[in-house]
Amino acid sequence: MNGALDQPGDDFVSGFLDDYFAECEEHLEVVRRGLMALEGAVGDSAGEAALLDELFRSYHSLKGISAMVDVREAERLAHELEGYLRRLRDRELALAPDSVAVLIDSTALLESVIAARRAALPPPPIQPAVERLASLSNQPPPAAPANGTAPAQGTEPSAASATWRFSFVPTPALVDRGIKVDSVRSRLSAVGRIMSVMPRVTPRGGITFEFIVTGPADPSSFEAWRQDGLSWERIEAAAGPLAEHASAEPSLRPAPVTLSEAGILAPSHFVRVDLNRLDDVMSRVADLVITRARLEENLARVERMLPAQEWRLLQENTLTMERQLRHLREDVMRVRLVRVDEIFRRMPFVARDVAREARKDVRVVLKGQGTEIDKFLVERMMDPVLHLVRNAVSHGIEPAEHRVAAGKPAQGTITLSASTSGEMVLLEIADDGAGIDTALVAERARAAGARLPDGPIDPGTLLELICEPGFSTRDEADRASGRGMGMSVVRKTVQELGGSVTLDTAAGRGTSFLISLPLTLAITDALIAIAGSHRFAVPQSSVQEVIEVEDAAVRRMENNELIPYRGQALPLVRLRTLFALGAASAPRFHAFVIGTGQDAVALAVDRILGQREIVVRTMSDALLKVDGIPGATELGDGRVVLILDVAALSRQARSGSSGARPAVQRTGAAALSAGQPVGGGVA
Amino acid sequence: MTGSSGRSYILFSVAGTTYAVGTEDVRHMEMIEQITPMPNAGEYLEGVVFSRGQIVPVLNLRARFGLEKAAHDLRTRLVVVQSGERWVGLVVDSAREFVRIPDAAIQPPSHAMSALSTNYVEGIASLGDRLVLVLDVARILDTSMLPVPAASSTDDLARSAMPATETPR
Repeated sequence: MNGALDQPGDDFVSGFLDDYFAECEEHLEVVRRGLMALEGAVGDSAGEAALLDELFRSYHSLKGISAMVDVREAERLAHELEGYLRRLRDRELALAPDSVAVLIDSTALLESVIAARRAALPPPPIQPAVERLASLSNQPPPAAPANGTAPAQGTEPSAASATWRFSFVPTPALVDRGIKVDSVRSRLSAVGRIMSVMPRVTPRGGITFEFIVTGPADPSSFEAWRQDGLSWERIEAAAGPLAEHASAEPSLRPAPVTLSEAGILAPSHFVRVDLNRLDDVMSRVADLVITRARLEENLARVERMLPAQEWRLLQENTLTMERQLRHLREDVMRVRLVRVDEIFRRMPFVARDVAREARKDVRVVLKGQGTEIDKFLVERMMDPVLHLVRNAVSHGIEPAEHRVAAGKPAQGTITLSASTSGEMVLLEIADDGAGIDTALVAERARAAGARLPDGPIDPGTLLELICEPGFSTRDEADRASGRGMGMSVVRKTVQELGGSVTLDTAAGRGTSFLISLPLTLAITDALIAIAGSHRFAVPQSSVQEVIEVEDAAVRRMENNELIPYRGQALPLVRLRTLFALGAASAPRFHAFVIGTGQDAVALAVDRILGQREIVVRTMSDALLKVDGIPGATELGDGRVVLILDVAALSRQARSGSSGARPAVQRTGAAALSAGQPVGGGVA
Repeated sequence: MTGSSGRSYILFSVAGTTYAVGTEDVRHMEMIEQITPMPNAGEYLEGVVFSRGQIVPVLNLRARFGLEKAAHDLRTRLVVVQSGERWVGLVVDSAREFVRIPDAAIQPPSHAMSALSTNYVEGIASLGDRLVLVLDVARILDTSMLPVPAASSTDDLARSAMPATETPR
């Protein structure tokens, strides 16, 4: 890419690149919001000016930081954007209707240039965009000279300006009041121009952020900020060299000495951690959990050899360790949680972009952005949500005239909501558009040779149909969506994450996709049970109670077995039957009570061996998609133990589908008998 | 498949026939120890193993090829292959050879071969007087070419609904 960065041993610069990408993301975020708002602000000249100024500064920063790490294409593109924005802001050019469109396109290109650098790929061609921007910026000024209008917001260093060094010391108390680096940054940019931000480590290990700001010479406007952890001093009168014209040149690049002072600290927030490192930490914790479990097993084995007193001490030690590990695990998981907003906040921008192209009027409503989900889920769910939002705009929302004709508001609404329900996160992507034309989908599918039942198809089948790779109701695919691969990828991703998608659509009223995903569940408490010669793990959270059943107490009614339970009759489902493990003939056995009320069942196993923490590994391979077995674990002996989704199993049993499926019984039995014998070793 | 230098292959045998898979498709090989059977799965799926920190599905190649399964013995091996992100273990009768086969020595499968083999045989290689079937790993693992195990009737239905008549783009 370039010599300086690729020099061996230059870990420092590559570490700095990570910060560069993170900082780019922050600036791009501001730009995206700014561009969105710019449309709404047209006509409101004060609002417009403020936005243009904010955009100008963001592009300026992007140019500066790109130059610093030598990402030439990004620097060049940001330079042109900055130049165009400068002329817009200074009223030398009028904001033309398609200006925003050009800005959005160029920003998207800038984003992909940065993404390409991150992926170490060659950058996309920027020349056409550069030329387009250059020709826009080089237009002659509008007829009305700009001199008559007020200068933009007084943020330019002027005669009465000064350079200030602001220091901000973040504390938990301030964070509670909502005062963070970000908010300080925006305060400062409201009064002046931030020339640089530098995190510094104090001798006591705390962090101070130092902002160099050119702003008003009179400090009265920030006098009230002292109680917010801010202090300041005047450095020098702002004159030539720090002003904007010069800053486009290399003088903006901090000298290497300054960089090493900044160290590897993130420019804002407290710490940025590579997700892989968190994964490493998590897998170390998982290893510890397994090791501790082994220790406990070994301890149980030597119980008789040790004096009771000694043994009890050791036992206490492992119990303490278990508790501490549990806390450690919870803490690590909490570190991984981020706000679902990381996905959501991009969507208004995406929707707007598609809507502009499709000539539709759409607004995006976000709900529950504060819901916390695992960072991994954010990474994986970004594209699926993106796709659903694009689909909603291009297929869901009708053109304004159709909407008005149907008595709906001209502007379509897409609602993104997030919430948690027990151990699941729910994401809903809903639009108030035309709904899916079920008849058309069915017609297409039948035309393609599908064996569909006559009459209307249910939402589940509809979802299956539209999730098939290649399915599209459009004859020619438009750019934004309609690429038939989309829905199949959405469903596949969700399933790989152990979640599910459901669909609800009503003609004329809209469509809603509900995605439910497991919260991070890398380690969980499980009960280890044995049935036949197989061990299974049942997550404790799904079990109401563990009971012992006398075989003599089982009542048989037609095809059902019932047991007395708390004065009622509880349906009994045998795991041996469900999994074709052969019949048992023990006088008594154990059962899990699952569900409550009408839904309660007892799931019978041979014996429950005990409770353990298990490391959950999801089984995402298409070969391993078996109802009721979402994952597997390993208990430290190298053997795989299957994890049961008892809720799904009991549903399956209730619907009678398992018993009524001879094919499943047969293949199941074959699969089990073919394997190597698995000993009934106790966990 | 370009160049004349050829690729290297692992040879293994299943029911008396020798097969080859490209070494770049093979993650590793191991003795078979503990396979955990998977209830209610297809007959070709022998179960799952824990291999190199991952849960890996184990496919019985005899069953996959429509042959009688055989009891495992000391020569039985698990060949863990990779296709994209997927790791899948293949149970084979034995696996001992590692050869380089020139591209020119591989000819496409004859149309006269039985439908079962042509589904996943990429070519036929002549190694001296031996004939070796070169396997296409991706196709062996392609679940749409496997008999549908569990009762996902809607999947089945939807799959049949989508032949290649509609272009994906």
